[in-house]
Amino acid sequence: MTLQELYEKIGGDYEQAMRVLRMDKLLDKHIRKFANNDVVEKLINCENDFDPTVLFESSHAIKGVCANLGLTKISDTASDIAEEFRPGNERKMSDDEVKEKIRYIEDMYKLTVDSINEYVNQ
Amino acid sequence: MIKSKQIQRPQLVLVVDDQEINRDVLGAILEDDYEVIYACDGKEALDIMREKAEKLSIVLLDLMMPVMNGFEVLETVQSDDLLKRIPIIVLTAEKNAELQALQMGAADFITKPFDMHEVILARVGRIIELSEGRQLISAAEYDRLTMLYNRNFFFEYADRIYRYHPELKMDAIILNIEQFHLINDVNGRDFGDEILKTIGMEIRSFLSETEGIASRFDADIFYIYCVKQDDYQKLLERFQNCVNNLSENVSIHLRMGVKPWREDVEPVTMFDRARTACNMVRGNYQNPLMIYNDSMRTKEIFNQRLLNDLNAAVEEKQLMVYYQPKYNIQCDPPKLSSAEALIRWKHPELGMISPGDFIPLFEGNGLINVVDNYVWKEAARQVGEWKNKYGFHLPVSVNLSRADIFDPQLIEKLVNLIKNNDLKYKDLKLEVTESAYTDNAKKLLELISNLRTLGFEVEMDDFGSGYSSLNMLSEMPIDVLKMDMKFVRNIEENETDFLLVKLILDIAKYLNLHVVAEGVEKEGQLNLLKDAGCDLVQGFYFSKPLPPEEFEKLIEKEISIERNEN
Repeated sequence: MTLQELYEKIGGDYEQAMRVLRMDKLLDKHIRKFANNDVVEKLINCENDFDPTVLFESSHAIKGVCANLGLTKISDTASDIAEEFRPGNERKMSDDEVKEKIRYIEDMYKLTVDSINEYVNQ
Repeated sequence: MIKSKQIQRPQLVLVVDDQEINRDVLGAILEDDYEVIYACDGKEALDIMREKAEKLSIVLLDLMMPVMNGFEVLETVQSDDLLKRIPIIVLTAEKNAELQALQMGAADFITKPFDMHEVILARVGRIIELSEGRQLISAAEYDRLTMLYNRNFFFEYADRIYRYHPELKMDAIILNIEQFHLINDVNGRDFGDEILKTIGMEIRSFLSETEGIASRFDADIFYIYCVKQDDYQKLLERFQNCVNNLSENVSIHLRMGVKPWREDVEPVTMFDRARTACNMVRGNYQNPLMIYNDSMRTKEIFNQRLLNDLNAAVEEKQLMVYYQPKYNIQCDPPKLSSAEALIRWKHPELGMISPGDFIPLFEGNGLINVVDNYVWKEAARQVGEWKNKYGFHLPVSVNLSRADIFDPQLIEKLVNLIKNNDLKYKDLKLEVTESAYTDNAKKLLELISNLRTLGFEVEMDDFGSGYSSLNMLSEMPIDVLKMDMKFVRNIEENETDFLLVKLILDIAKYLNLHVVAEGVEKEGQLNLLKDAGCDLVQGFYFSKPLPPEEFEKLIEKEISIERNEN
């Protein structure tokens, strides 16, 4: 599996990732690392206690990392959550809607990590 | 030629982001053009910034980070003078955060994701360039030693105050250190710098209490443009006090000139006048403060007139050379031995002008060479004329000013005068004032030795009027000592003065020097000097300085005495 095929599989924007990282080598390094990045874990873990600070910080971090990696679906969803919990912003979504977005990120993350592991272990 | 890139410091960039991917991406973008270092959070960033404050060219700062976020870093940097000069670009994707960061002192922002590499590079380059430009301007704006304005910025700001704030009645003050070059020479430059720093600090402290600006205008000259003060004596004492305790062994004396505010007088003119006032108290340790007044203005205008009219004076022969005789008093009757050539200026409108009015003025701005050259030429011509007319050998002494010492053609000019007028070297004696020996000892001694080797006789003028020491005499290549008139003035009434004169005569005799006593006015003075062994006398007792045609009568009288003796 090539990097490009991996991106096709996980629904990522390969072109966007290459605009940022410019080299397959660098993209390869960071997509492998993404599988171990704990920011997504942090967001998933706070689904129950719903701490707005953690929700904002973790979704904000996911947004940044994923935007650089061209993982636009995760990045866009994380951005929605970050804006929802940005200090000073008015809440627009219900908690259930937020939880739904967290679960979407969780699902996408799993799919992405599984595919990355497959790419790594091939 | 060294290219500007080579003299620039290596540009060091600190990337601060908790996400490794962001650090890596920025590193990859920047590493070809910059040296890049990294921090993972705000606290680590501040530690690095403090450690490398002098080397860092820029910081790229993420806003959302654990431990300490970017906003906290910006807040800390804003309140730290050392860190504040390092420009910071924030890394963000939020419009609100951009605005807040800019308001907190960030120089610019870069939006995430970092997909526009060229834009990022251009922004980093531009901000570094702007920041370094600003620092260069700041370095040019301030004197590094005193942190006062440099002269150009000072006058620019003084002009703005003058133009835009006419309601402020600003006085011009100049503060100067007496004999600063000597303090530097004797105690070292570090000590000199310490004095300048201390004064700079006190001036800044003074300006924090009043409205005004200041500059280290030149080496040891400080300019202060401030609102009118009540008591300038007290202000000078304040500055004097701050340097009094710098050293137990070195006395530091300040002097101050003030030009009080007057409507419609521009700063440049104000400071010209403050400088005039300050120069008037040069060396006056008892009263080192001078406030400019209108009589100084009158004097300035008079001086300017003299400066403007000098060329015409030379061309139209308004300058005249008078001659004062020197008599050998060890003969009976005293014998006309030589004369001193002295300048007079008969101005067509101002009348006779005292040499005391124009000699110091021309000495101060270098024009004294013109006067001296004129006197030498005229005196040499006159000596030649008398020689032909009377067959009488009468050497004439002329003055050599400090400025003449630096005239590279001096020897050539004097030699030509001797040759062109068919004279001997001993016919033109050269008088050098005592203080010139202490000012430029090495250069002067070399010059005088060369002149004496040629055959000129050199007289030390005004001996005892300055600070020359007796032991200095033994090292001086001179032929004659001219004892200042202040020694002679009271020798009849004051025994100590007479003893001093005898002492000088004894030392001169021991050193094989002839002595001319100046300012002899009374017979009693003459007799005492004669008994003490003084060879030559000059003064009103024999004659005031005379124009050549009157002086000729003295020559004729002398010739007639000689004939009668024979």
